[in-house]
Amino acid sequence: MGSGVQTAGTDAPIDGYRPQAPFLDELFEHDGTPRATARALVEGLRRLGADGLSEAGRRRDAIFMQQGITFETSGGADGAKSKERPFPLDLVPRVLSGEEWRAIKRGLAQRIRALNHFVDDVYHAREIVREGLVPWRLVASCSHFARAVHGIRPPGGVYTHVAGCDLVRHSDGTWKVIEDNVRIPSGISYVLENRAAMARLVPELFASYRVRPVDHYPQLLLHALRAVAPSAESEATVVVWTPGPANPAYFEHAFLARQMGVELVEASDLVVRDDVLYMRTTRGLERAHAVYRRLDDDFVDPLEFRGDSLLGVPGLVRAYRAGSVAIANAFGTGVADDKAIYCFVPEMIRFYLGEEPILENVRTYLLSDPEVLEHVLARLDQLVVKPTGESGGRGVMIGPHADERELARMREVLSAQPDGWIAQDVVRLSTVPTVGPDAVLRPRHVDLRPFAVFGERIDIVPGGLTRVALEEGSLIVNSSRGGGSKDTWVLEEGDESDRAGAGGFPVADTQPPALPDLRYGAWTGQQQQQQQQHQQQQRQQQPQAAPRPCHAR
Amino acid sequence: MLARIAHELYWLGRNLARAEFTARAVEAVFQAELQGTSESTPGVSFGSGGLLAMFGDVHQSPRTSPALGQLTLDAERPGSMLASIERAREGARTVRDVISADMWEAINTTALGLRGGGYGWAGSNPSTPAGPSLASQYVKERTALIWGVANRSMLRDEAKCFLDAGGLIEIADMVLRMLRVALPVGDSASADGHALILLQAVGGFHAYLRAVTAPPNAHPVARFLLFERAYPDSVAACVDSMHEAFAMADAGPRNSKPVLRVSRLAADLDFQRRAIPDGAELTGICEQTQQELNRIDQDVSERYFAGAAMAGARG
Repeated sequence: MGSGVQTAGTDAPIDGYRPQAPFLDELFEHDGTPRATARALVEGLRRLGADGLSEAGRRRDAIFMQQGITFETSGGADGAKSKERPFPLDLVPRVLSGEEWRAIKRGLAQRIRALNHFVDDVYHAREIVREGLVPWRLVASCSHFARAVHGIRPPGGVYTHVAGCDLVRHSDGTWKVIEDNVRIPSGISYVLENRAAMARLVPELFASYRVRPVDHYPQLLLHALRAVAPSAESEATVVVWTPGPANPAYFEHAFLARQMGVELVEASDLVVRDDVLYMRTTRGLERAHAVYRRLDDDFVDPLEFRGDSLLGVPGLVRAYRAGSVAIANAFGTGVADDKAIYCFVPEMIRFYLGEEPILENVRTYLLSDPEVLEHVLARLDQLVVKPTGESGGRGVMIGPHADERELARMREVLSAQPDGWIAQDVVRLSTVPTVGPDAVLRPRHVDLRPFAVFGERIDIVPGGLTRVALEEGSLIVNSSRGGGSKDTWVLEEGDESDRAGAGGFPVADTQPPALPDLRYGAWTGQQQQQQQQHQQQQRQQQPQAAPRPCHAR
Repeated sequence: MLARIAHELYWLGRNLARAEFTARAVEAVFQAELQGTSESTPGVSFGSGGLLAMFGDVHQSPRTSPALGQLTLDAERPGSMLASIERAREGARTVRDVISADMWEAINTTALGLRGGGYGWAGSNPSTPAGPSLASQYVKERTALIWGVANRSMLRDEAKCFLDAGGLIEIADMVLRMLRVALPVGDSASADGHALILLQAVGGFHAYLRAVTAPPNAHPVARFLLFERAYPDSVAACVDSMHEAFAMADAGPRNSKPVLRVSRLAADLDFQRRAIPDGAELTGICEQTQQELNRIDQDVSERYFAGAAMAGARG
């Protein structure tokens, strides 16, 4: 494989690629040679060439526009109109070995289990607070702490049915958790659509890899939702609850409902009678047992949360409290993905599970301590500052990229409101080659959001959504702020570089059973006769033509 | 109508349906084989080898791309999409007077496009790895267009009945072939793995999700594809519609052998649906039903196309 490096023409865009020290590149070693798992991929990209890449890019945009897989970019600060554009999928996949993935998977499962324990604890005995590990003040001041659900334990004790933790890879190769999402993590539809698109656009890159599939996610989710639904009947009715078509993630809501074969409901379709949730159908009210909701706590029930919410269902929390309906994720889980609580997750793992955390946190500073605050203010230009209750990259300031004015303004904000913010060390996000507008590959920073489903057990879909910052040097990967995405390949175990040279598609199916009566010719008695007739006619017309082999028998 | 014309229309329907089925199956297998196996090991096995076996071919090469290439654009193989479309075009050419000009044009354009590789995207080359997928996409779109034109522009007379009946018997036959190749043998519970690929191969994934609440495992999927009357490509639905078509086309349906046979098969499928317990093995039913379809095919030839067969013997 190594010899192929020099043989390709100069127009292969991968040839000029150089990883950018000090960042870790996931496909290349520091000296510019491809990593073992990436050799076949690099070879495939070289064969594809610049023309192949730009051609596939054009087809990708057309396919995504046709299928309506688009993303609305916010117009920015000047209030310009948001624009619909095809979801930015980069054609170079990211490759994770089976071994690497196993460690990530174990670490995530551990973390999600601990977070689930924490939510349960916060709304019940508060043991972790009594032990003095997490200050109550911090918990109660979380914007997503929900007093309304105190003392409610959902079926199976599961709160965080769907979770997506954001991981980054540091320049020393270790994986760190940068953020937990246990409210309504989105992006799984793009994982599935990205894979389907990649298989259609650049199937040659898949050659000599065995990539673990992701398309079973909707079934996992449906199974988990059915497992927690309080239903005495054999089949529980599951629904997906969307705020409506105006929501930026509406595509994903519809996608999941369609893939699971369940109803996509809006607030006006739902009604609570006698603490039981029903949906209005053409045949009258029908009971709904489990709701996968895709809107924030604040809006779900005007009687318990925000009274001005028009998107909510009055009485839903009462029904939930009565145990007649399962809600995924449970109300009040937002307390666990608050950025101030994030610092305590390693402690939670030790406290609830008695284990050492497998995945590390990024070093984080809680600013409520005056000493820490002073330390942070002094080196603000080396840190990242984030508001605690926000998501989607809103309000984040990256110290090394900020100018003096921004830093000064941030210092004021932090001094006035230290509780609303955290500071973190800057993580040197790893890079993956990414196709630029000119079809040239350049290193761009990536993170990873794997998706977990917690029902009877925790299932994690291999890979997840790799988000990529499309601007040079940028560390902001959020798609709402101009980031793109990549297909993430987790290889089957034992399928590392050794397969790369095999040069053929893997044998996916076993020998089919022999069916002696299943012959192609069996049904074509007439057709054969006709073919024969055609052949004879042809032969009469062109006596010199060679007789065609007849495969009919 | 002329027996020869009826015969051509019947086979035009069969060839179009076959091309469409092949396109869907190739696309599904192509997508599935690019990726590894799912975590839960499936009891169902349906890959390019299985696809070739459906067409009575030997499983010669373990490599995906040649196998799928053979099923798409290899004109030498009677089972390929190109060959089916070419036969459909030949058939349509001989009945140009019966079918509408629109329909002939639609079929002809399809054949020309597939032959020249000018489908889909400018400059696409059928020999590239994406070739089978692009060709499948093209054939799927075009056959949908052809059937749509037929439904809107053809008189609902005998001619349309034979065209439809051909399409229906072909779909039923293909679904049965696929089930027989793919279903796990023996009825142990462990063999009941995910059967998504079978649904994707007929384009019935979403229909299944809406009709059946059970997860898409081998047994419920096989039952769905065999018995679900609400799904147009299920065997039972095809047999029902076939009965309608032949009953309408036949001069004396009350004592016509093919009509009676189809009617009996429809009733039998309905009975089996109720009689067979969930989870029981279905391979036997598939085999019997397919043999019965074969007999129907023979009866149809004898009763309606006898004249055409004589004409064939003339050459």
